[in-house]
Amino acid sequence: MTSCPACLRPLGQGDLPALAAHLVEEAEESDPAHVRWLNQNLTREKTTAAELVPMLERVYDLGSGTLKGWIKARFIAKFYGPVPHPFVTALQHPSRATLLGYVVEHQHFLRQWVRSCAYIMARTDEPKVILYELDNLNTEYGGAGPTRVAHYELLLRMGESLGLDRTRVLTTPPLPSTREGIEGWNRIATHQHWVAALAAMHSLELIANRNLVDDGASVHYFDPAILDSKEITDAATNFLREGYEADVTHSDEALDLVNEFGSRPDLRDEVQSTFLRSIDLFDDYLLARLQRAADFEA
Amino acid sequence: MKRNYSGCAVCNSTWGNVWAEVEGERMFFCCDICATQFRRLVDRVKTETGWSTLDSLEIAGDRRGRTCVAGSGDESFRCFVAFTPQGEIRIFEKLAR
Repeated sequence: MTSCPACLRPLGQGDLPALAAHLVEEAEESDPAHVRWLNQNLTREKTTAAELVPMLERVYDLGSGTLKGWIKARFIAKFYGPVPHPFVTALQHPSRATLLGYVVEHQHFLRQWVRSCAYIMARTDEPKVILYELDNLNTEYGGAGPTRVAHYELLLRMGESLGLDRTRVLTTPPLPSTREGIEGWNRIATHQHWVAALAAMHSLELIANRNLVDDGASVHYFDPAILDSKEITDAATNFLREGYEADVTHSDEALDLVNEFGSRPDLRDEVQSTFLRSIDLFDDYLLARLQRAADFEA
Repeated sequence: MKRNYSGCAVCNSTWGNVWAEVEGERMFFCCDICATQFRRLVDRVKTETGWSTLDSLEIAGDRRGRTCVAGSGDESFRCFVAFTPQGEIRIFEKLAR
């Protein structure tokens, strides 16, 4: 089933003319999400639905590649092009404010992460997907004793090392873009096919995949040299290093599962649209980290 | 107000159908968020310069950040601006002429 990449409204299977008509109709109403999607993915110039169809075909076309390769290429183009996402730029050599903005907004993200992954587990019958999610949730949230501290706990410790009490972190409401992201990912997890949700969530772990530069990313998530310098606190090093080491396998394994279960013709375009929606939510969410960082600037 | 874009006053898109009055002039925007951004930008430039009106506003760049040249009478003002997804100003930096 094709879904609209701006609002996830279900349309007919493989029905790109219906998607084009829907986009034009919503743009006529000046809906910001649809106008934005058209502007950023197809054209800024108002055209007819018929003219949009070949443009949509180009966006959704895998060529001779795989769904995994398509997802990676779109992700790199959005976040790791010649001008990387502003948060990635700020994280190369992060200030205290940047890291604190990360802490405050990301704890909300990680709490939704648990819900999203739990929904995927609840809605799949595939044992290897369940095992993958269990491992992921332990790394991200549950932990496994003092030698394998959860990513969530490492995040809070990073905040404490920079002078921010965890009580304050946990009681600070999310900024609007973080809240909209959480609502969007919750909707994806509960309404879209579980393979689409799997792609939507775990593709986001590409952000810290250090091998992405081999696929054309312009920079790493952060300059790896900061892990071996005194530029950031030990707790910040522990937090960033954990993601740096875990997210290669997290994202690659998940995208292999997406390839295996999501490449069927009746699922593929739903996976693609859901992924496209998710990276727009993520783009805004990363900006919220910077917006929050401004609260901590001297 | 003289502008460099024939489409949306902020991003030059011709999608959408929002008409909003800014500085006494009816202007086209592709969505409410761009209209909000433009109003915030004009207000901020006026605050920074002390001008009561803007005669021109040229914008270049993309959603990651835009470089602007504003004019009023014989004076001009350059700045860099970036917005939140809700249309609030996130970064505003005065640039050398």
